Amino acid sequence: MLVSGIGQAAKLPHYVDVNVFDGLHGRALPAAAAIKMSNPAMTVVVTSGDGDIYGEGGNHFLHNIRRNVDIALFVHDNQVYGLTKGQPSPTSDAGWAGSLNRSGVISGPFPPLAVAIALGCGFVARGYAADVDFTADLMLQAIRFKGFALVDILQPCVTFNKKNTYQWYGRMAYKIAPEHDATDRMKAFGLALEWEERIPLGVLYRKERATFEELHPAIPGPPLHARETAPAIVREMLRKRTLALA
Amino acid sequence: MAADLNIRITGGAGQGVHTVGAIVSRMVVLWGYHFHAIQDYMSRIRGGRNSYSVRIGSDPVRAGRDESDILLCLSPDHLPHFLPKLSKGGLALADTPSASPPVLAPPLKQMAVSAGSPILANMAGAGILACALGIPLDLLAPLLAADFKGDFLEKNRKALALGEEWAREHLGEAFRLPRAPSSPRVVMSGNEALALGAIAGGCKFAAGYPMTPGTGVLSVLADNGPAVGLVFEQAEDEIAALNMAIGASYAGARAMVATSGGGFALMVEALSLAGMLETPVVIALGMRPGPATGMPTRTEQGDLDFVLSAGHGEFPRLVLSPGSPEEAFDLAQHAMDLAEAYQVPAFLLTDQYLADTIVDMDPAKFDVRPVRRHLVRGTEVPRAENGRYLRYAVTGDGVSPMAVPGEPGVTVVAGSDEHTEDGHLTEDHDARIRMVEKRRRKGEALAQRTLPPLLSGPPNGDAVLIGFGSTKEVVEETRRILAREGIAVAAVHLRQVWPFPAKEMAEIAPRYDAALTVENNIGGQLARLIRRESGAEIAGTVSRYDGLPFTPETLAPEARKRIWEARSTRTSRTHGAKGAETSGS
Repeated sequence: MLVSGIGQAAKLPHYVDVNVFDGLHGRALPAAAAIKMSNPAMTVVVTSGDGDIYGEGGNHFLHNIRRNVDIALFVHDNQVYGLTKGQPSPTSDAGWAGSLNRSGVISGPFPPLAVAIALGCGFVARGYAADVDFTADLMLQAIRFKGFALVDILQPCVTFNKKNTYQWYGRMAYKIAPEHDATDRMKAFGLALEWEERIPLGVLYRKERATFEELHPAIPGPPLHARETAPAIVREMLRKRTLALA
Repeated sequence: MAADLNIRITGGAGQGVHTVGAIVSRMVVLWGYHFHAIQDYMSRIRGGRNSYSVRIGSDPVRAGRDESDILLCLSPDHLPHFLPKLSKGGLALADTPSASPPVLAPPLKQMAVSAGSPILANMAGAGILACALGIPLDLLAPLLAADFKGDFLEKNRKALALGEEWAREHLGEAFRLPRAPSSPRVVMSGNEALALGAIAGGCKFAAGYPMTPGTGVLSVLADNGPAVGLVFEQAEDEIAALNMAIGASYAGARAMVATSGGGFALMVEALSLAGMLETPVVIALGMRPGPATGMPTRTEQGDLDFVLSAGHGEFPRLVLSPGSPEEAFDLAQHAMDLAEAYQVPAFLLTDQYLADTIVDMDPAKFDVRPVRRHLVRGTEVPRAENGRYLRYAVTGDGVSPMAVPGEPGVTVVAGSDEHTEDGHLTEDHDARIRMVEKRRRKGEALAQRTLPPLLSGPPNGDAVLIGFGSTKEVVEETRRILAREGIAVAAVHLRQVWPFPAKEMAEIAPRYDAALTVENNIGGQLARLIRRESGAEIAGTVSRYDGLPFTPETLAPEARKRIWEARSTRTSRTHGAKGAETSGS
């Protein structure tokens, strides 16, 4: 099951033969979370861009990490709005100049991995589109992870982003050493803050906790579409609200 | 003579006004009477000036009264505010140092302290009220035992007894109600009835963000959810709430949200998404006065236009407007069913007045219908020649068979872009035309199921009063008052405002000399809707927009005046029309 919002990255589900929910800009996560709550047996993956998830849908990004529904989120992070032709995105570096911001972005960039680790996201990783096998492995790990899993995928936009290019990433990016203890939240947070001089790739943080579906009193059981409503239960609810002499 | 007694309990938030109101309401039911309770409260946690009015009658009571016959002020400084609304011969009770009729000063504070805690003043007051009505305390015992436990139950009993003891010495028999035969009655608010109706209608997913007066619906769904396998989640905002409900609906769950106007404003983009994805969803909207934050805890019917036009683009919707808790229960089931049958968003448009109104009702009026799903499963899932399931298959009535994702062998593709029958996005203009027309046909099919307006009173006559939603019972009581005066007046209640019952309204309105709408708004939104959709002539609107609901005693004189004006205008216009003809305009 693929769920997406709006943008170039959000069109991806239309090229894959799976169940698709392609909703509104920024609103993929609430829909995806509810689909998973409705039918926990489904594998639910959200695929969308940095503008969609970190900008328009920022509030849902924060609160669905807290919720910890078992879904994987892949963010195609190219640091630019491509579909609308070259405006800065929430992850654009300060000073980067694009359409609508010709003199350079004043706001600082949104740090998705640091935010995710701060909020207790159980699986936080960064991939890179130039290293397909490496990134595919991260995505697979995220899907298999029990709980909310984020993979931010660096993905140069060859048309509109002339700063964060393949050459630039080639200089900046490195793979996290195998001895990194991914259960150490402080170390993971340190890695998440690295950006100015070098950019770590791989799994920064990994720690399972109980999922929303496991903890919610009404979710365990058959999928919601298969549940019936016994009129007797409703009649009992009415009877409880009925006043009569003893 | 039939009893009609209005008791008003007032105090600050936190003084237990609600507790007394609820006890009084329930004890009169056990005593063989009926009640209508309405709360007027301020938007704050502690203090302020709140009131709980219980109108008691020998016959079922379905509207409030402005004047009270017994006033219990738990905060004596509220007396000056409420005393002017005391009826002639009425009794006011407040713990003040000096009092003269009609005010009596029971030592509530002192009784509370001797019962064990100053907070029990409310229960001492309840004891006084019980005695005033002639209701013995042993009738209240099970009510008290249901509300309180252990030591606190004992203290409440004691406060009640002290209140009764004082009342026996100081009160006369003016307000005594003779015991009447009682029958089992369902006691619920409009919000509670709506939520239980949604549960009865098979709702299995609900999301929402707290907002008065919608929160009451959410709390019933949250509390009763686990017992019926309904998943409730408090969303981070209203945008998330409706997107979640749509996601759950896509996955095959009957889903709903509940909110008020401001929260719905945030849901509007998602409403349009439901229109495009053709996912069924129910939206319970309890109106309150706007614009913006308005008067958060008060009532208005100002969002009718908004609900009818909300959402970018063109798509069908259903808008139901229940007029009582029983109707809310019934229409909530209907909304759940039709939303799924026609794959449209369905509104339950209420307001703070109906949401918070509590009445006693005949259990036989609650028809729990079996849930009939409109999904296709297994081998019923239709396939195209290439074997694929087409979520948006073009059909005669525009309704495409809906399958759920996650079932073996079925792939469900739903997209917010314009799409082809298989759900994938397209920019093909012919495909666009097919989908636009399919959605339109669905709306036409939905219109075939329109619930006709409910008419009471003579089939023709002097005037017809037309309302939607919460005004139903107030208009009905007003009609009976005017009928007793000899005015041939009918009442029309619209329980569905979209698709609009145009044919029926075009047929009903001209049978009366004057047609007036009764609306809790200043714009006369319903009047405009009736004119636009049915072409019927509406003489005007009796409006109320102070944040409070209509009562028959205020509506009747205003309606009488407006009926008189409308009839004379109509007569002069009929004569004037002849003049216009000769002048050739």
